[in-house]
Amino acid sequence: MEFILPLLLILPFVGAIITLFMGGERAKYAKFTALVFSVATLALAIVLMTMDYVTMGMSEVWIQTDFFVMNFALAVDGLSILMVFLTALLVTVVVIFSFEEGDRPNYYHTLLLLMELGLMGVYLSADYFLFYIMWEITLIPMYFMISWYGGPRRHYSAIKFFIYTHIASLVMLIGIFAMVFQAGIINGGIADFSFAAVAAASPMFAETFQVLVFGLLFFGFIVKMPVVPFHTWLPDAHVEAPTGGSVLLAGVMLKMGSYGILRVCIENFGYGAIQWQWVMIILGIVSMIYGAYACIAQKDLKKMVAYSSISHMGMVLIGIGVLSQTGVEFAIFQMFAHGLITAVLFMVCGLAGHNIGTREIPLLGGMAKMMPKWAFFMMFGFMASLGLPGLVGFVAEFGILYALWEFIANTEYMWMIVFGMISMMLTAGYYLWSMQRTLFGDLTDKIDFETGVHGGPVHDISKYEFLAMTIMILLIALFGIMPSLATDFIMPYAVGLI
Amino acid sequence: MFMEYAWLIPILPIACFVIVGLFGKKLHEGGGFVAIAGAAIACIFSVLVAYDFITNGVDGIFGAPFVTEMKWLVFPGSDFVINFGVYIDGLTCIMLIFSSFISTMIFVYSIGYMGDQGEKKPRYYGEVSLFLTGMLGLIVSSNFLQMFIFWEIMGLCSYLLIGFWSFDHPEAKQKSSAAKKAFLVTRAGDVCLMAGLFIVLYLFGSLDYANIFNAVAIEAIAATNPELLTVAGLLIFGGVIGKSAQFPLHDWLPDAMAGPTTVSALIHAATMVKAGVYLTARAMPLYVFNSVNGEAVLLFIGIIGGFTAIYAASMALNNFNIKKVLAYSTLSQLGYMILALGAGGFLMAHGYNTGEEHLVALGVLGYMAGIFHMLNHAFFKGLLFLCSGAVIHATGTEDMKQMGGLFSKLKVTAVTMLLGSLSIAGFPLFSGFWSKDLVLEAALHAGTHGMTGFTVLFVMGMITAFMTAFYMFRMWFMTFVGDYRGTEHVHHESKIMSAPLVVLSIFAVISGFVIFIGFGNLIADMLQESMGFFWIEIESGMDIAISIFTNIWTYVSIVLALSGIGIAYLMYMKKSVDPAKFNKNGESAYYKLLTKRYYFPELYDQISWKLGYGIARIVDAFDRNVIDGTVNGLSGAVIGGGDVVSQMETGHVRDYATFVIAGVVVLILVFAFIFIGGI
Repeated sequence: MEFILPLLLILPFVGAIITLFMGGERAKYAKFTALVFSVATLALAIVLMTMDYVTMGMSEVWIQTDFFVMNFALAVDGLSILMVFLTALLVTVVVIFSFEEGDRPNYYHTLLLLMELGLMGVYLSADYFLFYIMWEITLIPMYFMISWYGGPRRHYSAIKFFIYTHIASLVMLIGIFAMVFQAGIINGGIADFSFAAVAAASPMFAETFQVLVFGLLFFGFIVKMPVVPFHTWLPDAHVEAPTGGSVLLAGVMLKMGSYGILRVCIENFGYGAIQWQWVMIILGIVSMIYGAYACIAQKDLKKMVAYSSISHMGMVLIGIGVLSQTGVEFAIFQMFAHGLITAVLFMVCGLAGHNIGTREIPLLGGMAKMMPKWAFFMMFGFMASLGLPGLVGFVAEFGILYALWEFIANTEYMWMIVFGMISMMLTAGYYLWSMQRTLFGDLTDKIDFETGVHGGPVHDISKYEFLAMTIMILLIALFGIMPSLATDFIMPYAVGLI
Repeated sequence: MFMEYAWLIPILPIACFVIVGLFGKKLHEGGGFVAIAGAAIACIFSVLVAYDFITNGVDGIFGAPFVTEMKWLVFPGSDFVINFGVYIDGLTCIMLIFSSFISTMIFVYSIGYMGDQGEKKPRYYGEVSLFLTGMLGLIVSSNFLQMFIFWEIMGLCSYLLIGFWSFDHPEAKQKSSAAKKAFLVTRAGDVCLMAGLFIVLYLFGSLDYANIFNAVAIEAIAATNPELLTVAGLLIFGGVIGKSAQFPLHDWLPDAMAGPTTVSALIHAATMVKAGVYLTARAMPLYVFNSVNGEAVLLFIGIIGGFTAIYAASMALNNFNIKKVLAYSTLSQLGYMILALGAGGFLMAHGYNTGEEHLVALGVLGYMAGIFHMLNHAFFKGLLFLCSGAVIHATGTEDMKQMGGLFSKLKVTAVTMLLGSLSIAGFPLFSGFWSKDLVLEAALHAGTHGMTGFTVLFVMGMITAFMTAFYMFRMWFMTFVGDYRGTEHVHHESKIMSAPLVVLSIFAVISGFVIFIGFGNLIADMLQESMGFFWIEIESGMDIAISIFTNIWTYVSIVLALSGIGIAYLMYMKKSVDPAKFNKNGESAYYKLLTKRYYFPELYDQISWKLGYGIARIVDAFDRNVIDGTVNGLSGAVIGGGDVVSQMETGHVRDYATFVIAGVVVLILVFAFIFIGGI
């Protein structure tokens, strides 16, 4: 069954090629092609989850010189399996959601599937060179997604997104080279880029080296997450990106950052991690609180959700930073949970822009009367995101904050748990306040409901959008009621890591 | 044999929620009868479970909790297991029966009350069913986290139902704001509760009631880590303050009256707000066995309860909104319950610390009084709210200035409301009389045997009893006697709304007699067998009654209650005393303070405005100007100055791509030289 892992890359790639050439008359069939390939990938990912996936790694030498070896190596474990599932799931859901996309649908689906290829590659690769290539591959379709299908300031946002994250990637690349070549020296000369070779040498890394290289890699990853103060590309990118792009960007691309911190930094630099521990925790707390406060002040619904992602990814960083099994387990769980929830949130915000014509909160009001289905999904998503027990976000939040508490309980920093409490209050505050202003109250008179903005009257969501969001909320509830469905995958990894 | 299936009790209403949610539009009355059926079956099942528990005992031990659990979540690092399960003891049985019974009654009543809501009915019945799941699930939970989950689900339903008319309604704005306030203010308590649970989990390695309620374990922790245990207790009580609307997080409850009256009756009087009282009762071992600070914490709990009782009652004195009067009354009565638990717990803690068994016995009596009052209050306050709903339904207004003389038109409502009012006022032999006097007695004992602070609280409780009688009868007289002052036509009572009133009024009158049929023993057995208390004994019901009637203070409180009723009679029925004389026609400073609710709404607004939006504005400005400004400035500097943004927008992608690729090449070369050179 070794073919499953490469197939997870090949399927989206083939789909992308096919849709790319479906121009002209055939463009309207591109969505079916994309649906077939994304569903097939999802099915494959689910099959993979039921199997003994840890033993299924594969590795082929790709480029070999006297100095270094680069491999085409793929593997999957407790850290990546849920991310692989999430990627396949979100791409499928986005394809369903954008079933009525009329603007160059073939390229749109090509970009989606290329993004799936890159994301799958990041989560599956077991070789640092491949990892880096895949990491860069994700940038390109996202760049075009924003600059072709985005809003009015799309070029600025796309370029900002590209350059910002690319600079971070370069710093990360320096870190990777340093790490791999150092490992090569330790292993006896040849720098093997595979994860295994580096992991074998990593206990011998010198302490200063660990601290330095951890820092380089860490910088690369936290820009991607993103962590305050390196976050400003994210709200801009989200505001301009089309809905599908936003879902994938927030749902799985941000997780590349936290994934990288665990996979590269924590796995290889035990000493470095301890030295950087407080930086991680403090940056996590700052992101969590700062993001939540920034949400309160936002007027654009989508920008608010973008800042809430920063806040929730800050929690992931806290979970990683406490360096305990509980912390890591729930950090990964939060990555998964946030992926599920944020997909609904961005769909809801996208629909505001699409169906109503504006996402500006001050212009909206009383929309629950006009768009009851949309209002339901918005409430559900917001409640899930603010950590309502019974839904998936609560489990992650509870676990991470408990891990933080466990870490500080016997120290003089006990009081820092207050930050967790403040963030929970603020999160409830901005979500409820924004719902009050958009869904409830008197029906707004600032919008013309008859003519609308996009040529048609303001209307509730379509059946495809309904289906896509229904899938997501069912999963949010399922994993909230039975979190062990997800934690059973994560636990072996968390226990093995720390 | 029924206890094994007790997990079905919360499942039933959630099944109704799903059915109503999916098919509500096609069902008769928007699924109302499905919701009634679910609640009624849950009620019957609760009675069967209680019967099973009381008659058989668990493994032959009466009062021992029945526990069944399954693993829900495992914390890998510390090997904590969070379970999901069912925990049944005396307290569970009491709560289950009255919650499901009153819910059934209110759902039946809703058929009439919400009958004109048309398309909104499925939403209503779905949400109340979900709410009932939350309440029943909370009651049967076997651990604190599970309880917290259902606790929050109730909070969500409370939010949704307060905001039932938050859109597509003339007062939508004010209603949605009330819903938000309720959620956020209780959330402040919930956040504390969650932090408290962290500490409990950290200290005990478990959140299961069965593992925590162990005197030896708690005392060991109190010996090694008293501060954390105390903080945990206080934080858990923080959750209670939010949910049971105690001072200073009380102000959401009056606003919560924006929801339908049935919701006020169900959630904001009879059931959900009792969850806080239930939690205090449940977590009592954490306070009592904290031998270092337990007494102080319990005194604090008593102070919060006693103060809320008198404070909230004062605001009911001059309010003209019939629902708001009842809301303040609910706050005040919840304060009584918390006071009783604080005083009872204090006596127990003091008894254990000094080794005096008779204090523990007095404490048990006080603890029982708290739960007893919760039971009675559920009946009479549920009844009173439904009566007020009937009045509102008939007159179309909540303003008592627009009522009056309704006795002839709303006979059933008037009589049942009178019974409810007599009950809450503590008229002898009515249910409120028994429990209120036991509550006050507990405070008195705690005052004489331990801390004088409780004596002050006892006096405050006595004054509250007077005020309660006054404002309840002020309300009754203003509504039902005199001349009709409104302009709207008064509708007739409907049978479907009157029937639940009659049933509830019977219970409101007689529920006090449960102490004669072993209510005290049920509580005492529970304390002993499931909560780890010892030296537990309780007087028989007859002895309790004798002690009530041989206590001089009982007669004082009767006199106070009667004089409260009397003054209300003089002012609002005979009109021989003009209330305007006392409040200078509503101009006196204190009168204004009461109508302004002691400026608490303004205080909340200021806090959320300054600490929330104020800081948010600063953060936002900082974000746009400093952080993003730096980023844009830096990129401008690197790329060579000029207006970077405009350059970027013209799309010189290739230039940057070249830059980037050149950078990569240089870096690769540098590192290749460094490391390869190192070999």
